[in-house]
Amino acid sequence: MTGTTDLEVREGVDRETVEAVQNMGSYKYGWNTEIEMEYAPKGVNEDIVRLISEKNGEPEWMTDWRLEAYRRWVTMTEPKWAMLNYPEIDYQDQYYYARPKSMEEKPRSLDDVDPKLLATYEKLGIPLKEQMILAGVEGAEDAPSEGRKVAVDAVFDSVSVGTTFKDELAKAGVIFCSISEAIREHPELVKKYLGSVVPQSDNYFATLNSAVFSDGSFVYIPEGVRCPMELSTYFRINAENTGQFERTLIIAEKGSHVSYLEGCTAPQRDISQLHAAVVEIVILEDAEVKYSTVQNWFPGDEEGKGGIYNFVTKRADCREARAKIMWTQVETGSAITWKYPSCILRGDDSQGEFYSIAIANNWQQADTGTKMIHLGKNTKSRIVSKGISAGQAQNTYRGLVSMHPRATNSRNYTQCDSLLIGDKCGAHTVPYIEVKNNSSRVEHEATTSKVDDDQLFYCRSRGMDEEEAVALVVNGFCREVLQALPMEFAMEAQALVAISLEGSVG
Amino acid sequence: MSDIAVKSKAEVTPQVSGNPKAAAALDDRLAAITMPDAGFSADARADAMVRLRAMGLPAPRDEYWRYTNPSAFNAATATALPFDADGAESPLFTGRDKLTLVFVDGAFDAAASDDLSLEGVEITTLAKADAAGDHWAAGLYGQLELAGQTPVKRPFAALNTAVAHDGLLIRVTGKPSKPVHVLYRRGTADADAVWHHVIRVEDGAELTLLESGMVGARSNGMLEVDLAKGAKLHHIAAKRANDPKVGLSHIFARVGAEAQLKSFTLAVNGTLMRHEGAIDIVGDDAVAHIAAAVLGDGNVGPFHHDDTVFITHGAERGESRQVFKKVLKNGATGVFQGKILVKQGAQKTDGYQISQALLLDDNSQFLAKPELEIYADDVKCSHGSTTGAIDEEALFYLRSRGVPYDRAIVFLVLSFLADALSEVEDDDLRDDINDRLEAWLTTPPQN
Amino acid sequence: MLKINNLHVKLEEEDKQILKGLTLEVPAGEVHAIMGPNGSGKSTLSYVLSGRDGYEVTDGEAELDGEDLLDMDPEVRAAAGLFLAFQYPVEIPGVGNMTFLRTAVNAQRKARGEAELTAGEFLKEVRVKAAELQISPDMLKRPVNVGFSGGEKKRNEILQMAMLSPRMCIMDETDSGLDVDAMRLVSEGVNALRSPDRSFLVITHYQRLLDHIKPDVVHIMSNGRIIKSGGPELALEVEQNGYADLLAEAD
Repeated sequence: MTGTTDLEVREGVDRETVEAVQNMGSYKYGWNTEIEMEYAPKGVNEDIVRLISEKNGEPEWMTDWRLEAYRRWVTMTEPKWAMLNYPEIDYQDQYYYARPKSMEEKPRSLDDVDPKLLATYEKLGIPLKEQMILAGVEGAEDAPSEGRKVAVDAVFDSVSVGTTFKDELAKAGVIFCSISEAIREHPELVKKYLGSVVPQSDNYFATLNSAVFSDGSFVYIPEGVRCPMELSTYFRINAENTGQFERTLIIAEKGSHVSYLEGCTAPQRDISQLHAAVVEIVILEDAEVKYSTVQNWFPGDEEGKGGIYNFVTKRADCREARAKIMWTQVETGSAITWKYPSCILRGDDSQGEFYSIAIANNWQQADTGTKMIHLGKNTKSRIVSKGISAGQAQNTYRGLVSMHPRATNSRNYTQCDSLLIGDKCGAHTVPYIEVKNNSSRVEHEATTSKVDDDQLFYCRSRGMDEEEAVALVVNGFCREVLQALPMEFAMEAQALVAISLEGSVG
Repeated sequence: MSDIAVKSKAEVTPQVSGNPKAAAALDDRLAAITMPDAGFSADARADAMVRLRAMGLPAPRDEYWRYTNPSAFNAATATALPFDADGAESPLFTGRDKLTLVFVDGAFDAAASDDLSLEGVEITTLAKADAAGDHWAAGLYGQLELAGQTPVKRPFAALNTAVAHDGLLIRVTGKPSKPVHVLYRRGTADADAVWHHVIRVEDGAELTLLESGMVGARSNGMLEVDLAKGAKLHHIAAKRANDPKVGLSHIFARVGAEAQLKSFTLAVNGTLMRHEGAIDIVGDDAVAHIAAAVLGDGNVGPFHHDDTVFITHGAERGESRQVFKKVLKNGATGVFQGKILVKQGAQKTDGYQISQALLLDDNSQFLAKPELEIYADDVKCSHGSTTGAIDEEALFYLRSRGVPYDRAIVFLVLSFLADALSEVEDDDLRDDINDRLEAWLTTPPQN
Repeated sequence: MLKINNLHVKLEEEDKQILKGLTLEVPAGEVHAIMGPNGSGKSTLSYVLSGRDGYEVTDGEAELDGEDLLDMDPEVRAAAGLFLAFQYPVEIPGVGNMTFLRTAVNAQRKARGEAELTAGEFLKEVRVKAAELQISPDMLKRPVNVGFSGGEKKRNEILQMAMLSPRMCIMDETDSGLDVDAMRLVSEGVNALRSPDRSFLVITHYQRLLDHIKPDVVHIMSNGRIIKSGGPELALEVEQNGYADLLAEAD
């Protein structure tokens, strides 16, 4: 690893950025945008919490809510039950607020957006039309869009910089904006639902997030509305040593429907970066939410240096009858992944689904899975988890299926498959199954094996090299989950599977 | 190089009980025990005591005690439970030629036992051996228990090593003509029985070990098993049915190359039971099967049954099976915590684990944590776990053929348990057990 | 023998009406066939008659020899002489085929106040009947239907029928999944059981089974009712022209 990192001085573009770009190596998204950043001092305390709240122009009730969370957080201890080993995190050695300097005055229109940010989106592969809109091209809104429309709420480090398709969404009554805007513009909704799925006290990382979350997305789909396009947020962590604390709140009113895409890339960095996001989803009667994630943050280099520490709390509350949530995730990045998108099946006949691909290569460690809490009658859940370990990586599926006494006639089916590539990695399965009534049926199956030699040989005899063959076979292994993704995402995810496994064979 | 060292989680997070209240509870627990006069086992006991003090008694928040409240095991003394001293002994294993060794409240009863002589087997008791300074079991007593403390701490196993007064030390050098049968009897209503058996099966030797009878109001039994190359142990434990008891049982084994361990437990009612297994496969081509059939009816008495079984593959081409079946009704609770751990280099491992519960009514519950922890790539490991009610389709099929409802349920329960029973190799023994099960299911409760 | 009058049945779970006033009589000694397109309610009829859960009779009645069938538990119906050969025989691991069959035979004998068969008597009888159906001793030893091929399962159903000596036999799509040889074996088994005091209700989608088991009466079922009854020629008509004309005629 070349380039030592200066932790102390942060003044806009620095030499590490240049070095980082030079050291891109095999990480496709390992570049850094040269944008001047504004930082709050390192560390977290009540003043920092107040500062974040003030910078976001928040009302007093929000500041108080954050402070309440902070005061609770200092009494809590970091959970250690996951099969993850990482150096102690010094929470006082992190930045809790950073944003591009050019954003200090919020842009009135997208024309004001720093062109370098727009270039960032291009590298991220944000579709052309959205780029045009983000770039403020005249008439872009009315330009024919190729294929399906996607509305993007791009988050650059801590501040949401632009939202597209706002008008069209507004016509449908859909609110899609940054959470900080929602706090200002829709306080009644935020007050009612924020923390109602993931309470302030939920867990160490969620509590920290409640205190210091910088920004994130807010989605409100009114009763009976089918969101006219897929909503998408691209997250990036760009500033070195900046904790990324996103907060997302999605509310689907009765009979509504929305598909939400979250994609993440981050530039290569030498020092591990902390990320603790919270996603809350409230789903009312007959409503349906699809939440898809492709996460390919910097996983650290081949020697295990650097990479994101990703501690995420995601939870959907199927609060009323026949509500439905579908989580799909493709987790290929981060040095440490601690993430359990969960479903509370409270309403009768509600349904939860979790489809996951987790790839851990080199020195990555992933501890991820889901919780299916069956509270209502006739509730159904399905878990399909595909874990792939390569290099020296450790990959754990951890999940809970709980059938409460009142959740009669409910069903769960869980399939957890692990694939090992190489003899130095690990694949682990830690399911918790709690069944407290007898009319429900719970089935759990798990397998662990290596890549099938016959399949590899077959592919290679048809001319593929070993790496291509492995990528193909692994994609086949993941098929069920890839199929659950929206089409554009599925393509990207398939490519990512191959990229993530580069260097894992031979 | 990397700043993120990858180690097994358990290696870096020892469970240390620094809580003064917990330390006091352990002191109370130990104060109520009369310590044995140790001879050859003195060092092992002293070591176990140090380890026990370091880890403390378990707390309900401990990861592997989340489904079973340890307080009855933690209590300083046993609570008296009624028992039928004159009741007939279980007909199980009767009519078979066997060497029967009787333990009363954890102490060997020579008068009630057969003569300790059996060709190909050398048997002494722990109490007798401890009167002397040296014994072949010195290298084993407490050693397999110690090995079983990783990756999960098992305080009651350490307690057992430290305080057990008696047990059997069995060394098998041949293929004895009949099984060794350990028959447990209860002497007093509040007996707190602790025993510790050590079994060493030498190269190519074989033993069938049967356990049955009534254990104490509270009990803590340990079976340390060391299988040398090509050795075989077939172990069948069937404690007396319907007998109220708070019982801990342990099987900590080391399985050498080409050796075979098959252990089957049958449990029918009986308050609170926890069976802990720590099986280490250390030689290539070894086989370890652990199975249990459990029936719990909350109307016979409170029922909570916990199987916490870990099998560790540390050698190549090992085969392991864990087959656990629990039939629960009237508020009974079944727990299964199982793990297949495959160490780096244990290639060609074939590991299988199945845990299933049949809930006969809405009050019963099954809590399971079936784990895989795998650090080798060329392996085939799988597990399954299902929970549900009687299969309505099969029930209707049986009834449509004229089989009455109650009888059909018995059939389906036996059908459900069949996979576990098939782990009993000996046809006669398996039939014995099946017949007893059928009798219990048809006319409960009886012994 | 079997009298069904204006039977209305709905699925409990879906609140869906399946049988909508079905009337049918099968006199002693006769073989009646029910044919009909998929979804007409044929299998529901067989399940309701044999007492499976999940169906609610909303109107009408069904009697066996003048006794109300619908109030009886499935095992009581079996003891009363009703037998259903399942379309998909159920697998019961861990329960031996012989144990199962002997329990069923003796439970029925007991319910009827007859002496139970001893192990020897039972064994003798089952061996003879199994041989007729080309069921190997090995199949008898195996768990009920576990690892049986489709044809073996159906033959096992007929063996049960032979052993239980029912008076009213319902066969639900017994021909499905059978090859020509298996179909012949099964049909021969059934034909051997025909007698003046035993009746059959043969439910089938295709006419071909009826080439082997000659029916006295053929009923066409559609949308939960019998829409037409006739002689064996009716089955041939269906074979040649399909159901469309008959359904149109009924409308």
